[in-house]
Amino acid sequence: MTVVTDVVCPLCGSVCDDIEVEVEENKITKVIKGACAVGKSKLQGHERIKSPMIRVNGVLKECSYDEAIKKAAELLAKARRPLLYGWSSTVCEADKVGIALAEEIGGVVDNTASVCHGPSVLAIQDVGIPCCTLGQIKNRADLVIYWGSNPANAHMNHMKRYSYISKGYFLPGGKKDKKLAVVDVRETSTSKMAELFAQIEPGKDFLLFSAVRAVLMGYEDIVPDEVGGIPKEKIVTLANMIKESRFFITFFGMGVTQSRCRQNNIVNAIQTTRAGHLHTKGAIMPMRGHYNVNGFNQVCTWETGYPFAVDFSRGFAWYNPGETASTDLLGRGECDVALIIASDPASHFPADAVKHLARIPVIIIDPYHNPTTEFADIVIPSAICGIEAEGSVYRMDNVPIRVRKVVNTDYMSDEEIVERILEEVRAIKEKEGE
Amino acid sequence: MQMIKLMVKDDVMSGVAKIPIEVDSLTPDNLFGKNEAEIKAVKVWWGNRQENTGDLFEVSVDGAAGSADEVKIVFEGDLTRVKHIGDGMKAGEIEAHGDVDMHCGAVMEGGRVTVKGNADCWAGREMRGGELVIEGDAADNLCAMYRGEMTGMTGGKVTVGGNAGECVGQYMAGGEIVIKGNADVLAGYAMRGGRIVIEGDAAIPGADMIKGEIIVKGDVEMLPSFKYIGVETIEAETYDKYIGDYAMGEKKAKGTLYVRKK
Repeated sequence: MTVVTDVVCPLCGSVCDDIEVEVEENKITKVIKGACAVGKSKLQGHERIKSPMIRVNGVLKECSYDEAIKKAAELLAKARRPLLYGWSSTVCEADKVGIALAEEIGGVVDNTASVCHGPSVLAIQDVGIPCCTLGQIKNRADLVIYWGSNPANAHMNHMKRYSYISKGYFLPGGKKDKKLAVVDVRETSTSKMAELFAQIEPGKDFLLFSAVRAVLMGYEDIVPDEVGGIPKEKIVTLANMIKESRFFITFFGMGVTQSRCRQNNIVNAIQTTRAGHLHTKGAIMPMRGHYNVNGFNQVCTWETGYPFAVDFSRGFAWYNPGETASTDLLGRGECDVALIIASDPASHFPADAVKHLARIPVIIIDPYHNPTTEFADIVIPSAICGIEAEGSVYRMDNVPIRVRKVVNTDYMSDEEIVERILEEVRAIKEKEGE
Repeated sequence: MQMIKLMVKDDVMSGVAKIPIEVDSLTPDNLFGKNEAEIKAVKVWWGNRQENTGDLFEVSVDGAAGSADEVKIVFEGDLTRVKHIGDGMKAGEIEAHGDVDMHCGAVMEGGRVTVKGNADCWAGREMRGGELVIEGDAADNLCAMYRGEMTGMTGGKVTVGGNAGECVGQYMAGGEIVIKGNADVLAGYAMRGGRIVIEGDAAIPGADMIKGEIIVKGDVEMLPSFKYIGVETIEAETYDKYIGDYAMGEKKAKGTLYVRKK
């Protein structure tokens, strides 16, 4: 038995990097400390896909990596509107090759941001973002606002490591020195801890941001008595909490990115943060879900100029979420072949998108069985990044962290698999060109 | 007058995947002076490959034209996956018989496009001039902008017979939009000029607007950051007048929102 320290958790966007595990016979047998309940479960793993498989007459048959990769490349090379989706629970190195593959086949490459913080990325493009690192928040933020986000259940270590409950250099008393405000449509484990909880009517976040912003800008007199079910008094209290803080941070989640007004909620949230800067310092940060959803956006931006939903069909990068995001493409029945990597759209996409996915040839690269593998035509198992393969990932605050290889494996890594598919596609194209 | 009929072939849209055709090359400006054989050889994008127009459309040409102004293109068949109809056109006329896909009339500078059906998202995107008539509904981002652009429609006139989706005229800086039905959330978002008339209802119109005019005749879900100014009469009807968006600061809040008095 060996103890491995400083293991990085490959689960959520918090990317905790102080985990200790016990390894016995090339397996993580126990998580000693550092990880939350969901992180522990990911680190310890469960039953894996045993071998690459190709569907023959409706049944998945085991095959070699070579056969599966060759077949996948053939499908992708002849596709007219292929989609390459996922990329958030794998490392930047695999993402980079994936984007090259998309360009090679004239496909659309998109990550899980489409159904998550894609709207945040769009908003940041429109108005920029005042941001900082989680370390800064831990040490300075005396007002923490969670808006449409419930870290107590979704990012379980977040408050303890980086925000409300953590003890910071300038805030040694931890939560005694800090204030917590929560805006959500329902009471949550997080809201129960808050000094101010505003239970907003669903879909009214945009209005509330505008109201808080107007108060911060000095136009309290024009704000009506109630906005989205929140009395004016509470709106003014929230604005005053911001004004009186030394450094405020707003964390926001799916509650605002995927509800009415979508990306424009975030535009307004960012503008509200700016309005706060008339009085004090502060920043705003999306609560990114997967551990490397941000990393794909980073890689895609430096490779193509755009963060996600990039369409190479006309030979250049065309970026238009609403048209080129995976849910758009599938929901509209445009796509003719899909490669899914490190993701499970069958569980998370709208029904019409999943129905179309089930009708077309699907290649999936993933360590585990999931509802998407149920109808996939080619299944390629891969090593688990952060446990069996190393690479770079980006935490929710844009800090790159190297995830480690803790145990050995015979599975190929995502990067190797995508690289091999790209090589095969190039060989096919070269042959066609002759 | 020259009439060019382009009918989408049935087998093009009969597959499991309905792959969009992008027809920004099929404008009166571009087809003027071409005979039937030459039109059939004009390239259009179908997914990630370029095809001949004649392979995807039945083409027929009738009459002759002395300039692009005298060219009329009629699109027929299943147009629900035909994108960029009239994109970038400067003259002439296009008529689409049926529901059309995204970017219809985008960046157009002149001429007239008529859609005898619904138009999908981004119709009239960054339009600069000319006229776009959508007889049915328009989906989201009507007359708005490509992602990341800071200017939407700057000129021309757009009429929608039915309802419009989210963010009508986002970043609009000029021109006029008339919607006979309702507009979904955020019409005139971050508007910098021009005029939007909504004859039906509107939800939170005018957010972040700094100039321009929005007139709503139906019910309005108001933003909390608009200032009530008083009553004004437009064309013999009484309207409540608001100025905003004050969330942008008093100096910038120069947009006007008129809401018809019940």
